[in-house]
Amino acid sequence: MSGAGSPSRHVLRAIAVWTLAAVVLVLAFGVDTEFARFWAFGLAFGFVLQRGRFCFASAFRDLFLLGHGRNMKGVLVGLAVASVGFAIVMARQVPIAELGFLPPTANVLPVGVHTALGGVLFGVGMVLAGGCVSGSLYRMGEGYLASWIAFAGLMGGLLISNYTWNWWWERSMSTAPRIWLPLSLGHSWSLALTLLALGAVFVGVLWIEHRAGMVIPASRPVGEVSGSVADDLRALGLNVFVRGWPIVIAGAVLGGLNVLLFTAQEPWGFTGEVARWAAELAGLFGAAPPPPMGAMDLPGCVLILSDGPVVNHMTFMVGGMWVGSFAGALGAGEFKVRIPTQRVRYAQSFGGGVLMGYGAGIAMGCTIGAFFSSIPSLAINGWVFAAFLGLGAWLGTVMIRGIA
Amino acid sequence: MTWEIDRTASKMAKTLDVRGEICPYPMMRTVTALKKLSADDRTLEVVTDHAPALDTIPTQAARLGFETAVEKVGGSEWRLVLTRKREGT
Repeated sequence: MSGAGSPSRHVLRAIAVWTLAAVVLVLAFGVDTEFARFWAFGLAFGFVLQRGRFCFASAFRDLFLLGHGRNMKGVLVGLAVASVGFAIVMARQVPIAELGFLPPTANVLPVGVHTALGGVLFGVGMVLAGGCVSGSLYRMGEGYLASWIAFAGLMGGLLISNYTWNWWWERSMSTAPRIWLPLSLGHSWSLALTLLALGAVFVGVLWIEHRAGMVIPASRPVGEVSGSVADDLRALGLNVFVRGWPIVIAGAVLGGLNVLLFTAQEPWGFTGEVARWAAELAGLFGAAPPPPMGAMDLPGCVLILSDGPVVNHMTFMVGGMWVGSFAGALGAGEFKVRIPTQRVRYAQSFGGGVLMGYGAGIAMGCTIGAFFSSIPSLAINGWVFAAFLGLGAWLGTVMIRGIA
Repeated sequence: MTWEIDRTASKMAKTLDVRGEICPYPMMRTVTALKKLSADDRTLEVVTDHAPALDTIPTQAARLGFETAVEKVGGSEWRLVLTRKREGT
């Protein structure tokens, strides 16, 4: 029907992409082990996002639009897994939390008006664009043209945010507190409180689902009879590479990968890198943003202008996410170039991208850096960003109902 | 083939093509189409290339009284046949 070819052809293509990705890994390792490490993590994140159809935009939006909590449940499981892992890592970085030192690489970010406004703008933008930053990245790999357009808008929004960064720095960010729960509660109670809060949200999601009416569990093929080891291996292969993953498994794996990345270096995040691309591109036209005040001393996804090479380890992270999702989609027979027929979708995707970019710029991260890596950092900014993200997603949902 | 005879109503099933659409429009447009379906239309066929809709459409269709059968018809394309459940069942 479409040009996707026979099953064996797309599987061969997927194997070819994985092979190329492995070659890049080996070459990158020869140049800089950090490049190789971030390439591997990028591949893994992209693959899992694609296999789980893991979407932060729909996690928030579908609660309002459908009373449907599939994605939010996955997000909550991922946050719980990452919170436990992060707490262990941070307790080793800063054994006595009450002394007043913050774990150097955790996403404990200044929390203030910029966090709230960033959350609202990001929430509206991700719903308009039909995907947040990580969602757009993996859908780019799946062949959604609209996600490429959203990504272009995202670069534009990040650039605008970097023109206004110093304004925000002087009025809000520089004096905003960085609130790390273990400073006042200690490690154990902070983790317990975070897990309790996540559990409470989970119950809230179940309540929303049942208030909206009947809940149909995701259909899974059943009744396959396993006759041999080969059958079991075949079923395992299908479950990993072809069928969509159950969302809580995808969430748990993403949370676990985030812990591993934090253990190796720093929490997951990448909008700072995309902001750098936008800044360097603008620089080619003599329109580079001014150096962002205070950014060098902050964790999270802030713009770090480099005077060095064009490629750094984060370039490999973003590139790896594209290739991982592309390979995942190919292997499952889910890659297809999808071109929206309604013209309004192009404006919607671009505009949504710009809003997301500006929001992520002033909130110092997207749904990954300012949320998925911030709540596990046992930091208040993650919860504030999440609350306003919810508000923005609600506004966005009202808007897309009007655009239908 | 995309056409199928609906014998009880003895006319062609209606088809909604939402290929190329971004999230969440495949589901939203399906819900709109189901609500517009006249009482003697028993089925609606939806053609989509958006995998997440395979989770959202069956749930929303069920809330409107429709059962969903999913069939993969090509590389990343699915045909969903939504059938109105009989009264009282």
